[in-house]
Amino acid sequence: MASISIRNLVKRYGNFTVIPDLNLEIADHEFVVFVGPSGCGKSTLLRIIAGLEPISSGDLYIGDKRVNGVQAAQRDIAMVFQDYALYPHMRVYDNMSFALELRGTPKAEIDARVKRAAALLHIEPYLDRKPKELSGGQRQRVAMGRAIVRNPKAFLFDEPLSNLDAKLRGQVRAEIKALSQELKTTMVFVTHDQIEAMTMADRIVVLQSGTIQQYDTPETVYERPANQFVAGFIGSPAMNFFPVEWRQERAILSQGGTVLPLNGEAAALLRQAGSAVLGIRPEHFAVAPDATDGIAINVKLVEPLGSDTLIHFDLAGASAIARVDPALRPKVGDRLSLRPQPGKTHLFDAANGQVLR
Amino acid sequence: MMDAPTTDRWIRRLNLLQLVLAGIIIMTPTVWMVLSSLKPSFEVTAYPPTLVFTPTLDNYVELTKTTPFLSYALNSLIVTIGSTALGLLFGIPAAFTVSWTRISWPAILTLAARMAPGTLFLLPWYVMFRQIGMIGSYTALILSHAVITLPIVIWVLLPSFDGIPRSVFEAAQVDGCSVTRILWRIALPLVASGIAVSAILAFVFSWNYFLFALVLSNGDSKTLIAAAFNFIGEGSTQWGALMAAATLIALPPLVLAALVQRWLVSGLTLGAVKG
Repeated sequence: MASISIRNLVKRYGNFTVIPDLNLEIADHEFVVFVGPSGCGKSTLLRIIAGLEPISSGDLYIGDKRVNGVQAAQRDIAMVFQDYALYPHMRVYDNMSFALELRGTPKAEIDARVKRAAALLHIEPYLDRKPKELSGGQRQRVAMGRAIVRNPKAFLFDEPLSNLDAKLRGQVRAEIKALSQELKTTMVFVTHDQIEAMTMADRIVVLQSGTIQQYDTPETVYERPANQFVAGFIGSPAMNFFPVEWRQERAILSQGGTVLPLNGEAAALLRQAGSAVLGIRPEHFAVAPDATDGIAINVKLVEPLGSDTLIHFDLAGASAIARVDPALRPKVGDRLSLRPQPGKTHLFDAANGQVLR
Repeated sequence: MMDAPTTDRWIRRLNLLQLVLAGIIIMTPTVWMVLSSLKPSFEVTAYPPTLVFTPTLDNYVELTKTTPFLSYALNSLIVTIGSTALGLLFGIPAAFTVSWTRISWPAILTLAARMAPGTLFLLPWYVMFRQIGMIGSYTALILSHAVITLPIVIWVLLPSFDGIPRSVFEAAQVDGCSVTRILWRIALPLVASGIAVSAILAFVFSWNYFLFALVLSNGDSKTLIAAAFNFIGEGSTQWGALMAAATLIALPPLVLAALVQRWLVSGLTLGAVKG
């Protein structure tokens, strides 16, 4: 078990810089999720921690040891790969015991550790099987088992759920979360799925173009996004954005001139900035009882999800979504009045996307 | 217009015709060789050729009486096994390294060496081996035949190594394996059929290679294929004995290929059909 410290890390491939200058502190026992779109550098960063990619410049510490030049084999970390990367010619038991055998662990201890991990992951009946005789979910568990038996300083997960179907993904996600609470080991998990990030992480690292956009708890990242990128990336459906201006002591949409019912801190911020980008999450719209009390919209598309209903509409030249109570049963073409819930709006600098606070 | 089942039937018939034609082209000289080896000496070159004759083993008896055939066979075996072993010893790590590092020029260089005519190496080798007194030694023949076996091993194994997902090697690294141990414990078991295929092909090519043995061997180390050349004389070729020798020379590679043909096909396609 160990903390991970990344200081002024730069990663280049030839002339192409993937990570320009990154600093990150992961505490001991912490479950940190790297999330971001494809090509943001999250997997590269994980592979650097694993020792599978060299560092161009900067420092990497695992515990209090600088590991820049240390081979993956000597870092004492365990990794679960996207495609599981099980050894096809070995039985499940041998896959799990291999790393311990390399370290010269006594046979009796290997056996005890493998069986304990197998019991934890419910894969005892498959210990004598080869990987090709297992389903995707079972292989995934074996890959986790291979990591668990080692009691490593840190676990690294590289999008391990992306090859599973939706139902199994939810199940394994919960299992990994439970496992992290039981093992109390530092865990770094890479995903492009923000639901995985939100549900599992103690803290989330949101990455874009190799730069950390925000590093905070899931609640903070969701409720107080640092910038427009984070606000748009975290949350499903994504946050709606509208360019807004403060004119004649009122907040209005830049395009179309619709007056917005903004007040309190949001109104004060917009008054000060003059213009900004307003962000409202779909779930933070409320249907106004009075048609004159909010923003009038025409329902363009309805997606009933059971637990709630998504309404698609056009506003200020952009497509937008509101999440409403399913009991409302709106129909395409209906006219509704929506208003942002007080205190749930976000304002971003129109020039650089930083949140206005 | 023909309907689909009729078209399929015709395609199947054409395929069959192609296979029969290819079979005839490949098998005719072989059958001719085997039949000729069993004909009395005077009938071997008779024209028109006799198809009905009383088979005899006279040519084989003549062959073993007039030449140290078994000794040549032993020479061939030593040189072929030695050069195949040498090809595997250096070819397996070389193919793995090329696959691991993605640096392909060494493999291309060996391929170029294989493609080049043997005469390109022959003269320098002859001079070199003569200087150090190795002409006629097994070592000289084994080393020279490694030029045949090494590229075969590398190029047959390369797609097999490439076919192993990179993440499997990386998982082994993270588990604590050095590169050598990854080759030994992870990669080799996964390319076992490729190794068998490359060994068989290297054996066959080395066994059949004529030029180096002709020049670099002497009476004691002559291989079968070079010795067979002795039967072709000016105006007095012993066709019967030559056919018997050719049949015996062809036997080991053919038997080997027949025994492992299923493995051979699956091994050759190993890298292409990763599933």
